[in-house]
Amino acid sequence: MARETLRNLRRNLTLTLASILTVAVSLSLLGIALLLQRGVSNATDRWQDGVEFIVFLEPEITDNQLGLVQGEIERSAAIESYRYVDQEESYREFNEDFFPENPEITQLVTKEIIPPSYRIIPKQLSAEAIEIVASGFETKPGVKKVVRATDEIQKIEKATDVIRWIVLGAGVILLGTGLLLILNTIRMAIFARRREIEVMKLVGASNSFILVPFMLEGTFQGLVGAALGTASVYGANRAFEEWLASDNVLNILQSFAVGAGDVWEIGGLLLLVGALVGSVGSAIAAFRFLDA
Amino acid sequence: MIKLESVTKVYKGEVLALHQASCDIQKGEFVFLVGQSGSGKSTFLRLLNKEEEPDNGKIFVAGKDIARLRRWRVPQMRRQIGSIFQDFKLLPNKTVSQNVAFALEVIGRPRHVIKTQVPAILDLVGLQTKMNRFPHELSGGEQQRVSIARAFVNRPLILLADEPTGNLDPATSVGIMRLLERINEIGTTVVMATHDRGIVDTMRRRVIELNNGEIVRDQARGVYE
Repeated sequence: MARETLRNLRRNLTLTLASILTVAVSLSLLGIALLLQRGVSNATDRWQDGVEFIVFLEPEITDNQLGLVQGEIERSAAIESYRYVDQEESYREFNEDFFPENPEITQLVTKEIIPPSYRIIPKQLSAEAIEIVASGFETKPGVKKVVRATDEIQKIEKATDVIRWIVLGAGVILLGTGLLLILNTIRMAIFARRREIEVMKLVGASNSFILVPFMLEGTFQGLVGAALGTASVYGANRAFEEWLASDNVLNILQSFAVGAGDVWEIGGLLLLVGALVGSVGSAIAAFRFLDA
Repeated sequence: MIKLESVTKVYKGEVLALHQASCDIQKGEFVFLVGQSGSGKSTFLRLLNKEEEPDNGKIFVAGKDIARLRRWRVPQMRRQIGSIFQDFKLLPNKTVSQNVAFALEVIGRPRHVIKTQVPAILDLVGLQTKMNRFPHELSGGEQQRVSIARAFVNRPLILLADEPTGNLDPATSVGIMRLLERINEIGTTVVMATHDRGIVDTMRRRVIELNNGEIVRDQARGVYE
């Protein structure tokens, strides 16, 4: 069966290449969209889920002061919800999310000097309403600083959101094209072998015996496309990392760096999607045109 | 071995291919199906192979109601039925022995079985010297022998022949009929649709005549008309 599959792949070389390349391009777009999403979420981790401002506390805040601030937050009618992040967690976040590749920075920082904080989601999202609530905390004893989700961060998110949706949309459309191309390749392969298929049915070859080579062929195309896509995503991330490592890059972009683990995760996902697209495309072709 | 109970088949809702056809064919019989083109002979054969489904009535093959066969059991059933055609349906890019071996390969027979059975069957049909020829290098009669070898290599219980001599000259046809007779003598039930008056009249076997989809005659040791 493997031999049959290989022979089919050769017979339809141009169409096969077209399918594989389309899948590759579409999956690299999807991969880059995912990469971007990871990067942005790394960079804006603290501002997830509608957190609009953060109340940083003095690292050496007393229990009494802490209780007062907490009471204030709980009583406030303008606050939807909040989350307390202690020194332990802040320290981890600082090391892993913000400066994962910069041990020289993290070595300078110890857990004791990192402030605990409250992340606050207000009820009303207008700038004035947030300002009123946020500034109310600035003067409380034990509060070090109140940081608002600045315009900058919202701008980053909005801009990357648009880019991400465009890339994702293009990727999905191309993936659909890839599926249709695979379907068509398999249809051609079935057409090229219609005499053999007729004889196979006549002498009682099982349906799976007839189907499987075509399914394998489609899955193979999807997988090869996905492998190429994964390679280009990996390459893109490497290029970004190298660019970050060069001197003339803003420090803030460091936090966009995506770890190797994430890249492999995305690669695995792409391979899965590729195999799925390939097998679904060929299955549709096989069931429509083999009439098994 | 084969039994039809008032079988009706209508194509596209209007063309009546078979109407209330009933007959009973015993194991080891040799039956000619005669009638004009479009009288339903090919439909008769295609129904037995489950290439078509009847609109009404029941069909039994080897004691089983084939309408009740599960889809995945159909290939199993077809392994008990060999089929040959007017146009041979040989694969042009395979040699004689590859064509025959193909029928065994695709039903998963082990290689050593194929190695012994293919030469044996080619010996039976008289093509042992032409094993490595391609179909286009053979005469029509020889090509039909290859297709018979392919249909019979798996030792089916039934052989369905749809005008197997339709493309052959009379002398060659006689040779093909001898071969089919031999296969019948081994115990294989043979159902053959034909227009060949000479063959039917000389062999004097059971004749079922179809006219506009109806069985109008079923005669033991019959003639063409």
